[in-house]
Amino acid sequence: MRYRARHSTRYDYGEDVPVSHHLLHLAPRSHSLQRCRRLQLTVAPVPAVRTDHCDYFGNPVSYVVVQEPHRLLEVTSEIEIEVRPPPRFRPEMTQSWDRLRHLARSLAGPNEASAIGQFVFDSTLVRGSRDLLEYAAPSFPRGRPIGLALLDLNTRINKDFAFDPTATTVSTPLDQVLAKRRGVCQDFAHLTIGCLRSLGLPARYVSGYLRTLPPPGRPRLVGADASHAWVAAWVGGDGDGWVDLCPTNGRLVDADFITLAWGRDYDDVSPVRGVILGGGARQRLAVSVDVEVIDD
Amino acid sequence: MRPHWKMFLSSLGAMHADRMAERWESARRLLRQNGVTYNVYGDPQGIERPWPLDLVPLLIPHEEWRQIEEGVGQRAKLLNAFLADLYGPQTLVRSGRLPASLIYADPGFRRACHGVPVPANQYLHFYAVDLVRDSDGSWWVLGDRTNTPSGAGYALENRAVLSQVVSETYRYCQVERLAPFFNAFRDALLALAPGRGQPRVVLLTPGPYTETYFEHAYLARHLGFTLVEGEDLTVRDRRVFLKTLSGLEPVDIILRRLVDDFCDPLELRADSSLGVAGLLQAVRAGSVVVVNALGSGLMESMSFKSFLPSLCRHLLGEELKLPSVASWWCGQDAELAHVLDNLDRLVIKGANREVVLDPIFGENLSAARKEQLKQAVRQRPWDYVGQERIVLSTAPVWQGSGLQAHHVVLRVYAAAVGGGRYQVMPGGLTRVAPEPGRLVVSMHSGGGSKDTWVLAPQRHQDLFSVKQAAGQDLRAAAEARAIELRGELRGTAGDLPSRVADGLFWLGRYAERADGAVRLLRGSATRLFDGSVPGASDELDPLLRLLVWHGLIPADLGTRETSVRELLPALAAAIFDPDHPNSVRANVQRLYRAAHSVRDRLSRDMWRVITQLDRESHGPAGPCEGAAMLQPLDELVTSFAALFGLEQESMMRGPGWRFLTMGRRLERATQVVSMMRGLRVADAVRPVDGNQATSLSAALEVLLELAESFMTYRERYFATVQKAPVLQLLLVDAENPRALAFQLTILRDQLAELSENSRRSATIHNPTATAVAIVSDAREALTHPDLVRNGALLRTTLDHLAANLPEVSNLLAHAFFSHAFARSA
Repeated sequence: MRYRARHSTRYDYGEDVPVSHHLLHLAPRSHSLQRCRRLQLTVAPVPAVRTDHCDYFGNPVSYVVVQEPHRLLEVTSEIEIEVRPPPRFRPEMTQSWDRLRHLARSLAGPNEASAIGQFVFDSTLVRGSRDLLEYAAPSFPRGRPIGLALLDLNTRINKDFAFDPTATTVSTPLDQVLAKRRGVCQDFAHLTIGCLRSLGLPARYVSGYLRTLPPPGRPRLVGADASHAWVAAWVGGDGDGWVDLCPTNGRLVDADFITLAWGRDYDDVSPVRGVILGGGARQRLAVSVDVEVIDD
Repeated sequence: MRPHWKMFLSSLGAMHADRMAERWESARRLLRQNGVTYNVYGDPQGIERPWPLDLVPLLIPHEEWRQIEEGVGQRAKLLNAFLADLYGPQTLVRSGRLPASLIYADPGFRRACHGVPVPANQYLHFYAVDLVRDSDGSWWVLGDRTNTPSGAGYALENRAVLSQVVSETYRYCQVERLAPFFNAFRDALLALAPGRGQPRVVLLTPGPYTETYFEHAYLARHLGFTLVEGEDLTVRDRRVFLKTLSGLEPVDIILRRLVDDFCDPLELRADSSLGVAGLLQAVRAGSVVVVNALGSGLMESMSFKSFLPSLCRHLLGEELKLPSVASWWCGQDAELAHVLDNLDRLVIKGANREVVLDPIFGENLSAARKEQLKQAVRQRPWDYVGQERIVLSTAPVWQGSGLQAHHVVLRVYAAAVGGGRYQVMPGGLTRVAPEPGRLVVSMHSGGGSKDTWVLAPQRHQDLFSVKQAAGQDLRAAAEARAIELRGELRGTAGDLPSRVADGLFWLGRYAERADGAVRLLRGSATRLFDGSVPGASDELDPLLRLLVWHGLIPADLGTRETSVRELLPALAAAIFDPDHPNSVRANVQRLYRAAHSVRDRLSRDMWRVITQLDRESHGPAGPCEGAAMLQPLDELVTSFAALFGLEQESMMRGPGWRFLTMGRRLERATQVVSMMRGLRVADAVRPVDGNQATSLSAALEVLLELAESFMTYRERYFATVQKAPVLQLLLVDAENPRALAFQLTILRDQLAELSENSRRSATIHNPTATAVAIVSDAREALTHPDLVRNGALLRTTLDHLAANLPEVSNLLAHAFFSHAFARSA
């Protein structure tokens, strides 16, 4: 599947800002199932500084600074990307989750340890807790294959929680999401990650896009007009050992999903993160994401 | 008793309680005068504790010290190598020598700092280690400080004080000096910016409400670095700049006392308002060196300690010289089991700095609590460490009537001095448990401190000649003076950050405002409570009107009929009540805060006077008697005069002084105008009847008194008090330092100077030029020949001034102080 995607973020600071610094996680990382063919990142006004580097998780990051007084800032990325469907996931063939937890604790050796082990522990926005553990428990009876447990948890969160953009903000803590049973894709991803980590299982946060229009005959996906987020859970075994799930839509991730970056939570990979000097009290932000299919 | 203690005590003479109390008192006085404090609550109201210093130093004989010194140097090297690996190739984790979870379970591992180049792999430039001595006399490591190690400045101050208070003993004991260590550290920092002629080093502080702010200011001064807060710095083109009055000046080295997580809201903690956005990018670009490197705080975690002996062999090929107190990190299965099985013998501590947990002594727990603890540990094992208990030795502490044995912890410092070498400070900060038997030692929990004396190698008492004694004498005096002078001489180093200009400007304004209130209150109180003042009742009337006009007492008290009984509490509140918005106390507090924020710019004497003002405005403990009010008011007048005198006589006429002076003159000008308007001198054109004549002349006399111009008036006019000459003297006379014209002239000249300097940054709208225009116009208006005779003209002029002078303050703020503040977008 080939896509063309356009992601635009537009700030109106309300008054002139002398300097703004931004960190952008907008260039899609390449991995075994996707390859970025074209990437164009435009910032207006033209930034005085732009440098690229890779973050600790291997995601490409751009740092841009606008140093002239500006009231508006627009960051636009346009990409062309090829995504292949993941190999068929056979949940009943996976190892039991309790065995996997034990494995996750004793991971050692090059690369593997850092790629997996670090996603067991608390991060800035997701802390394991007794409440999360309790919520997750019904999906994780002793000895159940991790794949089945994950699908069950994914479905339960999708059913138990209402998609409601007015219910939460970026800074709403997880326990409130759990109590209110509402939120957006970010919250559901954090919630799933929190459940898995409370059980001692590695889970990471994935930021990306969904195709805007569904294939003929299928319903439009929730969250398709903004940047999206879901979860990758470690299932061990062959392959790269991770399976991606989207609790917001209650399904496994497939070629309808484009990955931008992954980390421990939103704080590690938010698409646009910035600090401005000055600025008015009334800031406005407009984000639009458009993903079209070039060919199948 | 060990021989060095014998020597110490013999030189101290018999420990008479009186003699010791006297010394203790003078130590306290020195500490108070030097403003040595420790903010316990970080309270904006400025709840500062005086720094507690014991008279008896911790003595360490030479041979014992050599071992500590070697051990600390080695440990610094080891931790640095450890950091270089974890933030670089991570071979230790990849090879399986360390469990990966050790770093990943630790929030102190800053992923954003991984792979960021650090010159010469020097992460740890300044290191502190807490040591304890067991009952056998061996030293053990209790903890490491690698993020922003604190206390070295307090150690220096302790030395400055103790070497004066027990000077004979200090000389007799031949104590190793501290100053060379700080010089070496400073030189090493300067050498980090090779090829840049005069590198600019700044000391980055979280601000005046941090617990150890005193030390930040003190060290900045001592080392000759500019003290800055995050908002003083900005990153442009991947380079760090200091915002100064004359524009942006590049910064080469940042000695930070801000913990790493807060240093850059862009890449570290997003909600930090104390850091500098883009700092990490500047570090990546290699344009600035941050000391200690961002991320270094990781080595403070207790979880790392048990790996050090094997890592020391692996990384340095040596045995670890200073042992850590044995500990077990529960993040590993075997260690977890050990801790759970041996809870009784262990102290349970948080594995890293983010686990908030006071040390738990297992043996003190009830069975139920123990079970609870075990459960918590099993739940999140990686958050806990079990540490063996050791039997601590004690040191003697002077307690009013004699010596008591308290537990102590010694903090020792090491500085990287280039080429991967460390120099260890010969001494340190000894902290004392608050009472005998207490095991937890910290300044937070009310402990005290001691100076630490490392004794010179060999002492041949019999060979100690008079000549040597004299030499020692000079040396000791030189040490104390070197510590003192350093600060004075280097106080002006660096450029003036805009924030500091702002602080000095307001220091001037509040000082003048409080001084004005004091004079007014003293005038009133004298007439109320001191029966010997002639004409008291007539002059009381305008004074009360002014008190009301300035919002010092409620409006209904402003008449002559008000009884003394009613006035007394109102006056007391106007002086001492911190919650009264216009009281002397409230203004002194504001003054104190402004001064606090620019403390490194003020001389010791100025600071001494400011702390004195703070004390004098505190007010009596009980209800305030009328006559008792007069004494503090008199004292305050004297202290304000002293402050003003020091500003005039002991400050360089640099930009800092300029802002202080502008603050003062602007405030004084505002007050003159305000008093004239408050007493409506413009309205009383000529005395119509006798009654009004009395009241006008009383008002004029009050104005003369408040402006300290009574003598001048008498000298010059020999006459009864008349309106025109009084106004001439108080408004127009450019030679009277209290006259309005005098204030405006200085203000205009200083502003013009500023405007000249700021022309470099040419902007179309120049607020300073506007301010100059306002003041020049005002000055011009005073030259009108009819001003003091034409009531209508006078009224318009005064009203005009009252409306326009505040604008000068706003314009200055706009031009110089409005540092754009950072926030998340």
